[in-house]
Amino acid sequence: MSRKLAVILLAMLVLVGAMSLKTVVVAHGNGSVILANGGAPAPPIPWDNGGAPAPPIPWDNGKGPQQPMPGK
Amino acid sequence: MPGPYVYTVWFVCTLLEAAVVVCAVRKNAFRRYLLLNLYMAASVVASIARYNILSHYGYSSKEYLYFYYYSDFLLTIALFFALTTLYSQIFAELEVGRYIRTGAMVLLSGTALFSYAVVQQSSSRLVTHFVVEISQNLYFVGLVLTYVLWGAVLKLRETRTRLIQLILSIGVYFSMFAANYALQNLYQSRASIFEYLPQLFGCFLAFSWAYAFWRIPEEARTVPARLAVVPR
Repeated sequence: MSRKLAVILLAMLVLVGAMSLKTVVVAHGNGSVILANGGAPAPPIPWDNGGAPAPPIPWDNGKGPQQPMPGK
Repeated sequence: MPGPYVYTVWFVCTLLEAAVVVCAVRKNAFRRYLLLNLYMAASVVASIARYNILSHYGYSSKEYLYFYYYSDFLLTIALFFALTTLYSQIFAELEVGRYIRTGAMVLLSGTALFSYAVVQQSSSRLVTHFVVEISQNLYFVGLVLTYVLWGAVLKLRETRTRLIQLILSIGVYFSMFAANYALQNLYQSRASIFEYLPQLFGCFLAFSWAYAFWRIPEEARTVPARLAVVPR
């Protein structure tokens, strides 16, 4: 039983590691995907919305000074 | 529309993939590395089918788009299982084949669940989103698994040269795609150069495996553990 649990734990650790790596790599990417099979030319993904710059997120409060924390 | 360079590299790549299977059959290694060879055979079939659809419907067609990504999904799963058979070969003496199969299924299911969780908010093209997402996620899982396997090779002092060559080829293959992706985003002004490279990388794995089957005999031995140990 413990060996099976160890296998599941190892599989989950690999999954977490792989997804963390993907997050790091793709977070700074341009939205394209990494596919690694054969030499056929990859068609553009249909939900790629072009190269327009992304707008600022609406809940960003700008570069103004932050309010002091109430506890300080 | 793809130019002559793309078609030439694609053709060479398909020839090399077929060469892997031919070399394995000629050297009596087809059954020993069954899933690796089936993956390469499936790649050849996928390449031919992709070419037929591309020439019939065109590069920008939906038919080519869907066929490309769905076949890529199946090929990625095949490569994932091929990688697990390399695990089985490395850990053969420990008799943990059942645990490796369990781990592979847990990992595949976990990746599928994670991919679904990422794409479930897409209202349109949910299945296609899922297929592309899981292909990409399995690519990263394969990358991590290959490095873990290389660590096991060093730890267990595996000496079979052909097996080491096969594992290192996959490691270099995955790493080249990741490095290319990173460089493409780092130097976006020269992105066109990096867009052409993944096709060449596709040829690398087939060439390296064909070389391993053709030139390296099954009995050949090497000591990779010495690479990791610095003598004092």
